[in-house]
Amino acid sequence: MAMAFKMATMGMAVMEECKSSFMEMKTRRIHRYIVFKIDEGSRAVTVDKLGGPGEGYEDLAASLPADDCRYAVFDFDFVTVDNCQKSKIFFIAWSPSASRIRSKMLYATSKQGLRMVLDGVHYEVQATDPTEMGFDLILDRAK
Amino acid sequence: MYGGDEVSAIVIDLGSHTCKAGYAGEDAPKAVFPSVVGSIDQVGAVEDIKPERDSESMSDSKNGIRSLDSEKTKTKRKLYVGSQALGYRRDHMEVISPIRDGIVVDWDIVDNIWDHAFRERLLIDPKEHPMLLAEPSSNIPQQRERAAELMFENYKVPALFLAKNAVLTSFASGRATSLVVDSGGGSTTVAAVHDGFVLQKAVSASPIGGEFLSECMMRSLESKGIVLKPRYSFKRKEIRPGEFLSIDLDFPNTTESYRLYCQKLIASDIKECVCRAPDTAYDDSGYANIPMTPYELPDGQTIEIGADRFKVPDILFNPSLVQTIPGMESFVDIAAGRGLPQMVIESINKCDVDIRRELFSSILLAGGTASMQQLKERLEKDLMEEAPQAARVKVLASGNATERRFSVWIGGSILASLGSFQQMWFSKAEYEEHGVSYIQRKCP
Repeated sequence: MAMAFKMATMGMAVMEECKSSFMEMKTRRIHRYIVFKIDEGSRAVTVDKLGGPGEGYEDLAASLPADDCRYAVFDFDFVTVDNCQKSKIFFIAWSPSASRIRSKMLYATSKQGLRMVLDGVHYEVQATDPTEMGFDLILDRAK
Repeated sequence: MYGGDEVSAIVIDLGSHTCKAGYAGEDAPKAVFPSVVGSIDQVGAVEDIKPERDSESMSDSKNGIRSLDSEKTKTKRKLYVGSQALGYRRDHMEVISPIRDGIVVDWDIVDNIWDHAFRERLLIDPKEHPMLLAEPSSNIPQQRERAAELMFENYKVPALFLAKNAVLTSFASGRATSLVVDSGGGSTTVAAVHDGFVLQKAVSASPIGGEFLSECMMRSLESKGIVLKPRYSFKRKEIRPGEFLSIDLDFPNTTESYRLYCQKLIASDIKECVCRAPDTAYDDSGYANIPMTPYELPDGQTIEIGADRFKVPDILFNPSLVQTIPGMESFVDIAAGRGLPQMVIESINKCDVDIRRELFSSILLAGGTASMQQLKERLEKDLMEEAPQAARVKVLASGNATERRFSVWIGGSILASLGSFQQMWFSKAEYEEHGVSYIQRKCP
């Protein structure tokens, strides 16, 4: 088994709230975004913050710390060129350069456990600074 | 499963130029010393000469490796490991490397290097600490088994893990997917990592590393009549207060390899002090009139370095420049090789179309040579010009020189200290139960 996969699935627990919040976001659409964090002591991925349906991408970007890692999912609504209302869910691995290497390592090796629980993510983005998760980039990917 | 959280693990990154060793969880390696060793053949000596060691107990555990090595008869030799032992000139001492083209060719030397790290530098008993070894991205199964066997049989380590250089660098920068450009002392390796896995088909290596650039610098200076005099080859005498005279000393029994080793140390320092990657491809006419930078050699003589400041680093981007350096004309193969941007693009193009976009925007620069000034900016610029239009090129490198230089070791250090990693160790019990080939399953 691949190293990171085994570490993420057997060395790290994903709290039930992560899955239930994601399901609420996907089916009932009551969250615009979810921010997840790792509690290293208890070795678990937990929900850090839920974004209300009225919030936007800027609110998510503002919720991510400048000096620590997080995972996030964002429900992106947009209208296609042929006037079709669409929704895509993005997964963002947030690893800002200013965060500690320990945090980067922890989040990078634990990602797959959470990703397996989040069934229904359309795109995945790795970001080390705000420009890498810019709105234009998301828009570009969703098209 | 090995419960390794109580004692700290030891992390070793044995590169082709430098060995980095230290405690897991720390942010820099405690011991950094050359991967080359001094060797004196003991011709005519009948006594069983063992490599120089402080500890008596070591000679017992040595017997294990002797039987492993019994297939090839070796001439008796005395090995000198570490910067200090190498810093002292000895008659007939050759400088030899255990690694050739990224592969260990002499395990006896590796054994001596590990031993030096454990007993003389870290002052630990290897029986008590799990070991994490960083390995080249395309290490072959036989080499991995040999390393595991040595660790378990000779050092009786309680647990072991082998992690790939590129994976460690990638994780240490928070990415499970990236393209790692590792420019070290002995070579430059480009490897694609996807979800924590090295994509073997997309690994490429070039022999142009720091060592090679140092040699180019040295030859170029020689062609201008500047000879780098190693510290051992002269004596400085104070003729008047504050005024020194250097007197050449003659040691006819100094080996050529030792002289070269010492000269390259000087050349390497010159390179680190004055070199920077040029913003655009180097050409003689454009750099003919640039201001000279002074550098003081160990013998007190001050030299002026001009165009070489830019020309030498540019060899990474344009290997054919090697042919224009007097004394380096024989490196025809290297001169015909690809430059760094081409290596990156070729590597990415060997990967699945779906991940190329992500790789272009996650190019990680690591290794000692990557700390060269302006290297990141130049690589990014060249790639932007040559990459497909839709790609968003992004070259990332730690702003901290120590982190850049030791990214592999630091990655291993943090990895081995994570709670979620402790289940990953290949334990002594598993080794005894399943045999050495089990390492391939435990550390894929």
